Amino acid sequence: MHEFSLVRSLLEQVERIVTEQGGRAAVEVRVEIGPLSGVEPLLVKEAFSQLSVDATLIIDEVPLMARCHSCAREFELKDFRFACPHCNSRETSIVRGDTFRLMSVTVDISDVVAAARTSDELLETVSPS
Amino acid sequence: MTHRTITVARDVQFFAKQTAAEVREQFARRGTLVVNLLSSPGSGKTSLLQATARHWQGRHSMVVLVGDIATDRDAQRLTPLVPAVQLTTGGACHLDLALVQRGWDALAEENVEFLFVENVGNLVCPASHDLGEHLRVIVLSVPEGDDKPAKYPKAFRTSQALVINKTDLLPYVPFSVAHATEDAQQIQPQLEVFSVAALHGTGIESWCSFLEQQRQKLLAVQQASQNQQ
Repeated sequence: MHEFSLVRSLLEQVERIVTEQGGRAAVEVRVEIGPLSGVEPLLVKEAFSQLSVDATLIIDEVPLMARCHSCAREFELKDFRFACPHCNSRETSIVRGDTFRLMSVTVDISDVVAAARTSDELLETVSPS
Repeated sequence: MTHRTITVARDVQFFAKQTAAEVREQFARRGTLVVNLLSSPGSGKTSLLQATARHWQGRHSMVVLVGDIATDRDAQRLTPLVPAVQLTTGGACHLDLALVQRGWDALAEENVEFLFVENVGNLVCPASHDLGEHLRVIVLSVPEGDDKPAKYPKAFRTSQALVINKTDLLPYVPFSVAHATEDAQQIQPQLEVFSVAALHGTGIESWCSFLEQQRQKLLAVQQASQNQQ
């Protein structure tokens, strides 16, 4: 059970983005979890709810997709059978579904907008008409 | 409230993986092959390392960082043979890069040819954590059953070698080396498979020559990139 440590890494990245944006907080965090990511979505949800104050977590569960080196076709990997279902080649690469990824962060930037508005107003008052 | 959505599309472990890649590069420059050993508890990782150390005695230098939740028993078994440091995770299910680096610093060894990291006995979590290794090896002992590759695909998919240990028990347990190998290579076709009985030193020679070859490859790549510069 390592979901807590991974969700901690996730939240560090989220914090970094909130800071870069000069925002107040993250309101929504969207992640992608594949079958070979090594994490369990339910446990991620649980860890997130305990570690994050108020952001909403959205989990997109994606299928495990691979590409065959021999026939170049893409296919969904079922039951972790890595051989190509079209030509039986074992030389395949995973193209999606083996990671736990941070897809997007929605940041509350009310403060930034308010600050910008104030400076615009200031500019208007000082600029010669 | 005003919102802005930032698209990221980046691995949650992006920064950890970046650090791991740097560590891998540093060890390559030193000529040290880093091997991360994964297995269930009790599969014989420590016995395999003892047998490896005995086989190489005086010919190749190796050190071990050994991870466990508690006790320094494994380090005690290894230190009569090779420099070893115990890393205790205090309950965590896997080793991370910070612990490994602390252990390496504590060893303060130079001119090391092989650094073995004996991970916490667990086939799930360690599979997701890059420790800056050049080689990931799974140790599977025959009493565990030949269904392990199919049950733990991530660990097998991300490894380059499989050591089937305790083969001296094959007459007593229902385990087919062929079946385990077939299932494991279904998941990872490039997987190199070794059959050993570490306690008796059986099969250790081919395992050790595989490691020596892997280190030679690492040195060759390193040499080639130096020549290019």
